Amino acid sequence: MAAFSFDWNAIRSGLPYLLQGAGLTVFIAGVAMLLALGVGMAIAILSQVPARAVRGLVRAYVEVFRNTPLLIQIFIVYFGLPQLGLRLSPFLSGLSALVLYTAAYNAEIFRAGLEAVPKGQHEAARSTGLSALQTLRHVIIPQAVRISFPALGNNLVSLIKNTSLVSVIGMVDLMFVANDISFNNFRTFEIYATTAVLYVLLVLGLTRVLNATERRMLRLR
Amino acid sequence: MDLSRKALLSLVAVSLVGLVGLPDWASAASTLDTVKQRGKIIVGVKADFPPFGYVDSAGKNLGFDVDVAHLFAQALFNDPGKVEFVAVTSGNRIPFLQTEKIDIIIATVTITEERAKVVQFSDPYFLSGSLLLVKKDSPIRGVEDLAGKTAAVIQGAIQDQDLADLAPRANRLKFGKVSEAVLAVKGGRAEAFAQDDILILTLAKENPDLKAVGKPFRPRPYGIAVRKGDTEFIGWVNAQLVRMKADGTYDKLWKKYFADVEASLVKP
Repeated sequence: MAAFSFDWNAIRSGLPYLLQGAGLTVFIAGVAMLLALGVGMAIAILSQVPARAVRGLVRAYVEVFRNTPLLIQIFIVYFGLPQLGLRLSPFLSGLSALVLYTAAYNAEIFRAGLEAVPKGQHEAARSTGLSALQTLRHVIIPQAVRISFPALGNNLVSLIKNTSLVSVIGMVDLMFVANDISFNNFRTFEIYATTAVLYVLLVLGLTRVLNATERRMLRLR
Repeated sequence: MDLSRKALLSLVAVSLVGLVGLPDWASAASTLDTVKQRGKIIVGVKADFPPFGYVDSAGKNLGFDVDVAHLFAQALFNDPGKVEFVAVTSGNRIPFLQTEKIDIIIATVTITEERAKVVQFSDPYFLSGSLLLVKKDSPIRGVEDLAGKTAAVIQGAIQDQDLADLAPRANRLKFGKVSEAVLAVKGGRAEAFAQDDILILTLAKENPDLKAVGKPFRPRPYGIAVRKGDTEFIGWVNAQLVRMKADGTYDKLWKKYFADVEASLVKP
């Protein structure tokens, strides 16, 4: 085997296409993040309602999506559902699998946050005349979000990395582009190393945003 | 942020080590010697490409390429069983060879100029054009009908580039595995799947809801591949191919695997 020599040209010629893939990664991760936060919060609140049937359903959702590999979920949505007559576009297939999977984790984190708010807060809020909904909205949720924040941040970082799985259904994301280039120019090390660096930059960017948000929340307290 | 800055610095440091030069792994010895010493040959074959390389329901590797590998083991060790199979795809087979996870690729590799720069090819052992796999009721009759349509291809396979040239207005949907591309056609996600003629013909035979269409385009030879520069090993492989053709083994394999689609193939 010939000695390894690092080929800068492979990176230079591949970079524009890689950045294009990174663009889709950022987009799908961003949309999935917002939706997964919303869905996760809604599910967590539903887990607190008295109706046992609702709590059972919520439990089932969380357990199913948390305990199966994301790749299986993507395959079921993309290849499986069309056989049942539901054909989502590759983007929607990847997005919905990412959202359902991430929201299941978010729901557990939010639930823990909701349950960590001292009971006295609830009783005090109600005794000032706030309705149950107002108590939830103005007293419980703001505190729960603050408690959940660090764990949620970790989950969002995982989400960015998990988006690489949508490459298997033909979505032209960063991972897909990395495969596409290296399968044709065979400069495997250069291309995957560059791709890894790009993922690091994406995650560092997200971490900055999260840190800034957390600081702001702490100031508000 | 302090921590992430440190992380970034160490990342840069690691990449620099990579640049300055990794240890020289070059070894003068031929893979042929390694294989003989080890007592078995590790072969990259397809697992999703009937009739060249596929897997039965018990997980056993079968196919034309698989039989060739057994013949190589027979020639080396007088035992056709002294072979370990590694399932590869069009995308990852050359990296598998380069990183020494396998000794040799016998996995429907079309000989191309770009690939010949990074691997050592044997003499050709099969000639394959490309065909399209479509649904039974599809109006598509060939590459010329693909404009504005979605065509599935395998990432790293030659049809990706071929369609870019021959049907530039087709939208290419790329998958890692044959099974995924076939599912895409069945599920209506792609109107056609472009791949080597022999595979498409076999798939059409196995799936009554699909059919093969088109004239085989861009026929090119398959080669067996070893690591670049290993002339000793490739010389041995070529000698085996010559012997197989001379003693009738190759014809026997041809009949065993291609008899029922033979009429539609490009014979070498």
